[in-house]
Amino acid sequence: MAAVTKTDKMICPSCRVEMNHHCDKLVYTTDPQEAEQADPSLGGFIEEFHTCPKCGGGASRHA
Amino acid sequence: MSLHAARVVTGELSKCAGVETDLIDIAKLPLPTNDAGEAIKQADFSAKMNKADALVVVSPEYNHGYSGLLKHVLDSCLKEYIHKAVGIVGVSAGPFGGTRVIQNLLPVMRELGLVTIFWDVNFSSVQKVFTEDGRLLDESYIRRIDKFLKELIWMAKTLRQGRARISID
Repeated sequence: MAAVTKTDKMICPSCRVEMNHHCDKLVYTTDPQEAEQADPSLGGFIEEFHTCPKCGGGASRHA
Repeated sequence: MSLHAARVVTGELSKCAGVETDLIDIAKLPLPTNDAGEAIKQADFSAKMNKADALVVVSPEYNHGYSGLLKHVLDSCLKEYIHKAVGIVGVSAGPFGGTRVIQNLLPVMRELGLVTIFWDVNFSSVQKVFTEDGRLLDESYIRRIDKFLKELIWMAKTLRQGRARISID
């Protein structure tokens, strides 16, 4: 059994502080080329959503 | 008539301490119609959605549904909505006050990552609720709007804390 720890925290571009990872969302692409690269078990991509605890700004990235 | 309803709700929101409001008339947004989704994201609308902690969607009901324009505008953003509160105000000329449009919007809101509240506002027979120039004729709506906004603001504050401080990991 392996424990997975994410260490690559997103950094707020305005405040330079670590952002809080509060959501993973399954996003279904409408782009046919991107669709071919989607995770077949999910049918889409996982998008991570992060929010800055200081300014409240949000950011996202592919998981 | 939906604009009259939106103005009343915005007016009540602006009376709430610590709340900044912005009324967005989606008919005035310069979104193209030759594409859809985030491909047509409009910078100003995106920035407003990013800044917002909560949305109030005021929607007329047409044939039990929402307008194509509303869906077109909502679809132009995604990350801007995640874990933010939304309340829906239905407007109709008939007796049901947009209840069907509200029900039809719920799955859309959910997929966009918005968190719906359990209070709605229903403007039924809207032509009798406002004068032509938008004056509210039935003050009983104010109490319902107040309850709706209190729930929305609570949810917005809670989700703001959650987004910033509570990790999914």
